[in-house]
Parts: sequence; structure tokens; C-alpha cells
Amino acid sequence: MSFVEKMSLSWLIVLAAIVAVRGFTDSDPGPGAAAATPLGGDRFKIEGRAIVPGVKAQDWVSTARVLVDGEDYVGFLRTDGGFSVNDVPSGSYVVEVVTPSYRFEPVRVDITSKGKMRARMVNYIKTSEVIRQPYPLQIRSSGPHSYFMKRETWGWTDFLMNPMVMMMVLPLLIIVLLPKVVNTNDPEMRKEMEQSMNMLNPNPELPDVSELMTKLFSGSKGSSKASSSKGTRPAVKRR
Amino acid sequence: MAKLILLLLKCILLCGTVYAVFEDQVGKFDWRQQYVGKVRFCHFDAHMQSSKKVLLATESNVFAALNTRTGEVLWRHVDKTGPEGNIDAFLQNGQDAVLVVGNGRFLRSWETNIGGLNWEAVLDSGSFQSACLIGQQGTVKNVAVLKKTAISLHYLSNGHQKWIENLPDSDTVDYQTVYSGGNSEVYVLGVVPHSHIAIVAFSGDDGEILQQSSVEAPWLSSIPESCQMVDQDLLICVDSTTMSLYTLDLKLQLQLNQIPLQSLELEVDPDFRPSLVSHQPNPAKQPRSEFFLQLAPDHYVLLQFNNGQLVVLRDFKPALLVSFATTGEKTVAAVMSPKNKTASSINLFNAETGRRLLDTTLIFTMDPNGGKPEKLNVQAFLKKDDSVGYRVMVQTKDHTLTFLQQPGRVLWTREEALSDVLTMEMVDLPLTGTQAELEGEFGKKTAIQDGLMSMVFKRLSSQLILLQAWVAHLWKLFYDARKPRSQVKNDISMENLSRDEFNLQKMMVMVTASGKLFGIDSKTGGILWKHYLENIPSNAAFKLMVQRTTAHFPHPPQCTLLIKDKDTGLASLHVFNPIYGKMSHVSPPALPQPILQSLMLPFMDQDYAKVLLLIDDQYKVSAFPSTKYVLQQLQEMASSIFFFLVDSNQGRLSGYRLRTDLSTEQIWEVALPTETQKIVSVKGKKPNEHVHSQGRVMGDRSVLYKYLNPNLLAVVTESTDLHQERSFVGIILIDGVTGRIIHEAVQRKARGPVHVVHSENWVVYEYWSTKSRRNEFSVIELYEGMELYNSTAFSSLDRPLVPQVLQQSYIFPSSISTMEATLTEKGITSRHLLIGLPSGGILSLPKMFLDPRRPEMASEQSREENLIPYAPELMIRTEWFVNYNQTVSRVRGIYTAPSGLESTCLVVAYGLDIYHTRVYPSKQFDVLKDDYDYMLISSVLLALFFATMISKRLAEVKLLNRAWR
Repeated sequence: MSFVEKMSLSWLIVLAAIVAVRGFTDSDPGPGAAAATPLGGDRFKIEGRAIVPGVKAQDWVSTARVLVDGEDYVGFLRTDGGFSVNDVPSGSYVVEVVTPSYRFEPVRVDITSKGKMRARMVNYIKTSEVIRQPYPLQIRSSGPHSYFMKRETWGWTDFLMNPMVMMMVLPLLIIVLLPKVVNTNDPEMRKEMEQSMNMLNPNPELPDVSELMTKLFSGSKGSSKASSSKGTRPAVKRR
Repeated sequence: MAKLILLLLKCILLCGTVYAVFEDQVGKFDWRQQYVGKVRFCHFDAHMQSSKKVLLATESNVFAALNTRTGEVLWRHVDKTGPEGNIDAFLQNGQDAVLVVGNGRFLRSWETNIGGLNWEAVLDSGSFQSACLIGQQGTVKNVAVLKKTAISLHYLSNGHQKWIENLPDSDTVDYQTVYSGGNSEVYVLGVVPHSHIAIVAFSGDDGEILQQSSVEAPWLSSIPESCQMVDQDLLICVDSTTMSLYTLDLKLQLQLNQIPLQSLELEVDPDFRPSLVSHQPNPAKQPRSEFFLQLAPDHYVLLQFNNGQLVVLRDFKPALLVSFATTGEKTVAAVMSPKNKTASSINLFNAETGRRLLDTTLIFTMDPNGGKPEKLNVQAFLKKDDSVGYRVMVQTKDHTLTFLQQPGRVLWTREEALSDVLTMEMVDLPLTGTQAELEGEFGKKTAIQDGLMSMVFKRLSSQLILLQAWVAHLWKLFYDARKPRSQVKNDISMENLSRDEFNLQKMMVMVTASGKLFGIDSKTGGILWKHYLENIPSNAAFKLMVQRTTAHFPHPPQCTLLIKDKDTGLASLHVFNPIYGKMSHVSPPALPQPILQSLMLPFMDQDYAKVLLLIDDQYKVSAFPSTKYVLQQLQEMASSIFFFLVDSNQGRLSGYRLRTDLSTEQIWEVALPTETQKIVSVKGKKPNEHVHSQGRVMGDRSVLYKYLNPNLLAVVTESTDLHQERSFVGIILIDGVTGRIIHEAVQRKARGPVHVVHSENWVVYEYWSTKSRRNEFSVIELYEGMELYNSTAFSSLDRPLVPQVLQQSYIFPSSISTMEATLTEKGITSRHLLIGLPSGGILSLPKMFLDPRRPEMASEQSREENLIPYAPELMIRTEWFVNYNQTVSRVRGIYTAPSGLESTCLVVAYGLDIYHTRVYPSKQFDVLKDDYDYMLISSVLLALFFATMISKRLAEVKLLNRAWR
């Protein structure tokens, strides 16, 4: 259900985007035809604001820069997190806020030769796809960068949460606890249980697989023992 | 959707196999040094008495604040390179710093406490002349910017323009200076060379021209060079031809008042252009009435205007540098005078009286391997007893900043030359005495002849030495353990410099644009030696070569630096010892002819120095060293020595062969039409690269052999037509010996900058696709096929088969600054590409992702081969950044060197910053992981041991009991 819902939602977004594109004036050159050659024509200003939720702008702006198409145009952040990149000719650019501490998504900004601006999601594969974003840019950080791998640490919880161990421990618990919870002395209960057992085993004539196996292996080793050693070994090895 | 899930799954699978840094490894074997570049403007933060900041604007287009106590960068803003980011002027007002950037294009105000931008204003175009702060009634509210044809005033609070006025007669008058003396008037001074001075006074409130006049001055050509403002709106100029000072009151503007220097009993050194140094401590107030006049390179005079009279306060000779400084109400003059050859003394003088202040001497010791002092920046402060104390930052010619305190204690030094590293090499450190002894035992052939007894004795003695060294090492470990970590780090010096067991510590020899050479210890980043080469042309190209490594004890290691003037082509050689930085006693040959090409031959002379061949513009070859033995060897080998020349102006690649008489003959030539394309770069393979496996085992167990041509060159061309529909990038793989074109590929609708890595049997290059407006990677791999033609040796002259060429391209979501491949000792470890990004990260991208055999659909065989199914987009994961948050600004190059461990590759990224780390492309397979749990394994062992003991005992008891029963 939720999958279908998501699909329809994303479809809606695409539809909205298409409508938005139509709304963009006819002089829009489209991403394929934007004149990228700066012929000394008009220069424009890309404006926006970068926000790190929960962190004051003063604490991080000194390490941040705004890069437009790599280092082609560079802007700096004001003390309130706002920025403007001046002297940009018309064209299509990828605007990125770069700081070593926080992650920002890049945005593509299209500037027409008349200076109309629009911002959209960066999609390098389908370059003509337009998913509008607000302009002036509102770039919100999605959190700090994760640079490090987690060390594999060894703890009792890891050991206990190991599926093998779980598989062993749970049946053990059932075996120990179930007889205490269910009163087996009650004849009615016993009858019920027998019935349910019969349900599981519809043909009593057919040889039980587990029995067969135990017969096979009983000579050398208990099968349960083998599985138990298998269960613990990988956990130990991980250290 | 299914594809997406597949992709996700793949990511999860891959992230396990890929290298990343662990958090506890931070700073363990990596270090970063941040630089700012050669200082152009410097201001001490003076608005607070206790401030610890110095603000620097540099020629590398960097604006930074340094901590004056430690010399560390507090914050730093790196602008675009080139003239667009050039800092023209730097004015300071309280805690705001106003910069004029990009030839007067931008006006920026920075908040210096937190390092954020207050505002940025775009100014009208026009070439920048001058800027100044305008004060009114003691407060500074505006900044004036003078351009060629206009002057504009801006509010300091928000950058908005207050007014802009065109300058009268700007086509004839060259306006050069703007000045304000604390009242609301703004004076603009211009000059018509060798004719007159033009003075325009504007009202600071509305830009109205209050006064306009011109004064005859036929001797004057440039105001900033020969004039200064002093006292009450007084312009003072000096002229060497008439040997006079000229003064002009801007208020009255009658005429220049000539004061012959002879009347002051002063004399200008012949062929010296005298200059003036004045001081305006507060832009809202008048400049000081005292100023310095420089009469000779080492002769300064302190003069004062006293009620319209010029008075000589003090004569300083010899004096190298002078500077004014103000703290509170007191203004002092600092004068640096030479003491002896290696030291200078700095003294403070009262500016008003010229009297020397007591106890203000500071000794500056000059580095014999450094440059001469160039500029003095004085930070004056009031001591508790109201006397003036000071610290001083000395700039020297080799771009070094030294911050000193009385009586000569160096607080810190910064080698800003390292912000501009051009090329570098890593050299193995020499063995210690004990290690050499041990090596000698096995290495020498004479040992066998000595007989058994002496060999046993030798072995025992060397073992004894080893034991001794080990005990000393243990003692040091124990001793160091009690000291804090920061102290332990700094004790690397020349004496205890030796190779470690895995050869992980090396000497980094760095060549900088300023001509200063550095030897840096790769473990700590400490500078072990430096050597400043004077008289280096500003546009020099450098090539650093290691002629002899440290492996040939007792011959010292030897590096040769080829310095070539790019314009004339004339070159010189500097030969030095890379471990100690000393000039070698080997005298390099003089090179009278321009040099076209240099190449290092793999064979050595009798002193184990590799032979360097230099080809001059007459196509004659000279060898260095050129002993008889070398020449004889060259004659024997001449027929197998080939070299190539690239002439990118004419689009010509040509190959030559050496003749026995050391002349050359051309054997091939490839011409590329210069009208359509130009050669951008030519890349060969690294000579020290090893390839472990000759081929790749495929899914069906057959072998695909690699085409491993050591002479292969990758030539990159770019189209001259830059229109986005017609531009292209071409890559030609050409054999450097025969000139045979192996492969040619053209990327249409693409343009540079192209970054290329050429290694093993593959070439990876990156370009900008103008059609899709994205960066793309392309990889070309060459294979011989299913069988090898001649598996014993490769010869370019005998390869009849054309290799199979595979190519694949990918999208890369960022532009890149530079690219290099990892390098390991034997080439067994898988390769990674190290990519410097403009954001400052260094991405370690597995070569596995750039494999033209990546299939579109995964099949059984491709899975067997561990091929990842093709996905168009390569990803940038921050976990793959080898430098985590230690960003490296403007990465210019990445240097990789193998270490003694096969798994480990040493990496140095240089640009504005220098960063060194180790990478493990296939993880650390040959050493225990550094998080190896010794405690756990030993405790388990111990526990088992005790368990067996106890159970044995118990079993015994049980047996005994049973026997008794």
C-alpha cells in the first residue's frame, strides 16, 4: 500500500514540476540550449542562504565558501548565512556550499540572457529534468559530514544479538519456560495440544524427517551439538 | 525501482571493501600545514588592547587572520586565483576589514572576529587606482574608491554607494591617489606626467566639487612613488634630479614649495630613487607630521614638519628597514639596522623627538639559508607602566614571516614559500650506523673469504649492537611515556634521522616558486632544512630528479634541480644532498644553450649516480655526470636511447635517436594541425612503477594479457574552437620510440581542462562535457589479447600486433583540481585514483569503478571476475576522503610514493596547503590492524592456560579418588 502511495506522490511531484516548467517564461532557453559562452554580456548575481539547523551561522561561516561550477565563481558567506555570487554571466551552473563540517546538496541555477533565474535539483543523468527549488536559494544542511568508518567493536550485545545465538537461545527459553507457563497437568489442555500436534503432522504414517536425521547421525554426533558449535564459532571469529 | 534497490545493495556491498579512515586514526600518521601565501598587506588588529590577531592579505588572493601567539591560521578565505581575486587594497576600521578585490570590481567588508562577510558590493568597471577611509568628526563612516575615471563613496555599514562622481579631464590626467585628512573633504590627486599635478576636492557629503586646481610639477611622473601626505593636508614629494623636497598645501594650492636637500645637509645616493614613508594612525585624523626619507638603500632620515619648518630629527645609517607604529596616543618609529653578517637589531624611537627609547632593542637573527628582510610590521602596545612595548613581524625575500618579541625571542616563523610548491620528490632516509652494519654483513662479498671465525664474531658483534640499540629504544619509550604527547613529537632532528623498519618515514624535498627548497620530514611535517636560491627568474620552470638514492653508502644521496627560464630557455643545474640540503661538491656543467629536454637514464656511473641527459636547441646532447666511463657507456648504448620533443606551438611531436657521437637524428614526427587543436599535455608512465600481474584472469579461467608498453605516451589535445557544439577533446596514444599511433579517441562536445592519469595499461582522463554540462571520466584500457607476443621482454620495435582497446565513460558529480594514482612497491595492491576536489577533499576512488569491462548486465562470468555492473554515475562518498575534514585548498598536485610495505602508499597533496597521509588501497593486509586487540587475545590465552592447569589438577584428584575407591 505505502509503496503505491509513494509512487503516486512522486508522480505528483513530477507533474508539479512539469507545470512549473510551463510557468517559466517562454524566453527560457532550456537546459540544452543555454548559451554558456560569456560574451562580455550582462553579469548577474546568484543569491541565497545556507542554513545549518540548530547551529548559529557565526560558528561555521568562516570555513565555508560558495562554489559555482567548481571554482569558476566563488562567493563567501555573510555572518547570517546569506550569500551572493556576483558577476556570473547567463548560463546554467551548479551552485554548491562547501564547508568541511556540514553537508549541503548542490543546486543547479539557470540564468537566462535576460537575467531570469530558476533553481532546480541537480540531476547529472537526466540533465533536462526539472524539479524546481526555491529561488533565492534556500540550502539547508542535511547534517554533518560522515568521514569515518565505525570500528568493529566487540561487545556482549553483539554476541547476544547474533542470529545464530538468538536461534539457540529462543528455543531454549521456550523449552524451559513454556512448561511453567502452560499447565500441562490440565487434561483439557493436553488434549488440545495433542490435537494441534496432529494438525501439524497430518500423516502419522510418513516417517518424520527430524527423526530420520537423528537416526542417521546418532552414531557419530548429536546434531544439536554440531549446530551449537557452528553457532558460536563465527561470533568468536569476528573479534 | 528494482534497479534502484540493486544499486543500493551494491553500495552496501562495496562500502565494506573500500578504504576509509577510522576516527581514532586522526592525526596519527597524517598532518596538514596551512599557508596563506606571500603577504601583500598586513594589519595588526588594534581595536582591542589584548587582541591576538594579525590580518593578512596575500598575493595568492587569500585573506586570513593569524594568531599572533602561535602563528596558526584562525580563519582564512581563499578567493579565485588570477586577477579576478587579486586583492588591491586592504583598509582596517575597528573590527571590520575592507578589501578592494579584482581590480576594483568588488568591495568586501569582513567581520574579523568570526571571519564572516559583512557585505559585498559590486563596483562599476574601471581600473582601480586607490582607496581610503573617510573620517568625519573622529568617526569613520565611509570608504572612497578611486578608479581611472570616477570616484565613489560607500557606507561602511552596508556597502551602499553614497555618491559617485566622474573625474574632470580624466582622459589627460592620470588620477592616482585619494586622501582624506579627517574632515569631510576628499582630495583626489592626479598627475599629467612631467607637466602638472591636478587636485580635485570633493565634499564628502554629496560629492560636490569644492575646489579644482592644477600645480606645475614638471619633474613628477608618479604620485604614489614619490609623494606622501603629512601633517595638515600637506603633500610632500621628493625628486632625485633636482635633489629637493617639494611641499604643497592642498587647502591653499598655490604652488609647490621647493626645499633643496642640501639646505638640510642631506645627500641622495647616486642612482637611487629616494622615497618617503609617512604614517596616518587614524583615518579620521590628520597624518603625523613626522616622516622618513630614504636616501640610499641603507640610509634613512627622520624628518618633521614643525610650524611650517622642516626639521631633521635623526639620521639613520646604516638602516635596512623602517616602520611606524601607534598605540594609544603614542607613535613610535622602528628602525632595523644591520649588526653583523647574520644579525640585525631593531630599535624603537620616539617619533616626535627622534629620541631612542630605552630597553627596546630586539635582535633579529637572519637565517643564512634565507632571504634578506623586506618589510617590517610592528605591533606596538602599552605596557603596564605606560611605556611602549612591541613585537615585530619581519617579512623576508624568501616569503618567510618571523614574529619576534624582545629581546629577540622568535615566537613563530611561517614559511609562506610552501604555499606555492611546484614540484617535489620523496627520498628514502639513510640507514643508521647499526642498520648499515647489519646490511654490510650480508652485502659484502669479502665476508666469505674472511673465514668462519671472523664471520661468527661479526655476527655476534652486530647482534650485540642491535641489542644495545633495542635497549636504548626501550628506555626512550619508557622515558617518553611520561611526557605529554605534544613534547615528544618535536624531537626529530638531523642526528636521529634514519629509516624506519617499513620505510614509512621519508624526506620530502619540495621546490617552491620563490626558489626556496625545503626538506621536510614526512612523519611530523617538520622542516629539517631549507635553502634559498637567489636570482631565480620569476617564470622559472623546475624539474627535480633524484640522481643517487641513499642506497649507495658511503656515496651521499644526490638530487639535481633543473631550473629553466621559460622565456629564454636558458637553464642551470643545482646539485644538492636531499637529506641535509647542502650543496654538493660536484660542480654542475654550465649550460650556455637553451635546453629543450632532459631525461634520466636508468644506468649509473661508477659512483652510482644515474646519468642525466640534456638536449639543447641544437639537438646536441650533454651528459651529467660526464666522466669518461659515462661517455663510453653512452656510446655503447646510444642505439637504444630514444627521446621525444613536444612543440605545442607548432603542434609537433618528434622522436629522436642518440648517435654514438652524442648528436641526434630524427626518426619520426607527428604533426597535429594547430588550426583545429593544440597539445595540452603529454603524459608518460612513472619510471618507478611496477606491474605485478601480466594479465587478468577472466571468468572462464582464460587470461587477458595487458599491453604494458613502457614507452607509451598519452597526448591530450583540445580544440581551438571553443564553441560548445564544435569543441572536442582528443587523446592520442603514441609509442615514444617508434612514433606509432596505437590509439586515437575523440570526445566530441567536450572541453578542458583535461586531467590525465597514465599507468599500467590504462589511461584515465577527465573533461567537461559541454553538451550535458557535467564532468565526465573516461577510461581506456589496452590489452594484447589472449596470448602474449613476446613474454620475456617488451620492445617497441618488435610488436606487430595492435592492442585491443576498451573504453568506457562515467559521469562525475564534481569538477576536479588534480588527479593521481596510488603507487605501491610491487604493484600487487589494487590501485586507487586520488582526486583533488575544489572543495578541498581528496577522494580515493577505486580503479575498480573505472574499468571498461564493467558489464551492463551482471552475468555469471562477470561476477566471477568481481566486475561491478555498469552504472553511469560515479559517487563521491565523504567516507572515501583520505583527508576527512582536513581540507586542502587549491590542490595543485598529488605526489604518491611507495613505502616498504606493499599495502601502504604515501600521499602528499600540495597546493595552498600541504597534507601528508598514508593510504591502504587494499586495506592493511600485511600488518596487524592498529586496533588489534592484544588484551583480548592474551587474556583468552591466559584463561585457557589456567583452565587447562586447573582441569588437569581436578582430573588428577578425581583419578586418585577413583583409584582409592
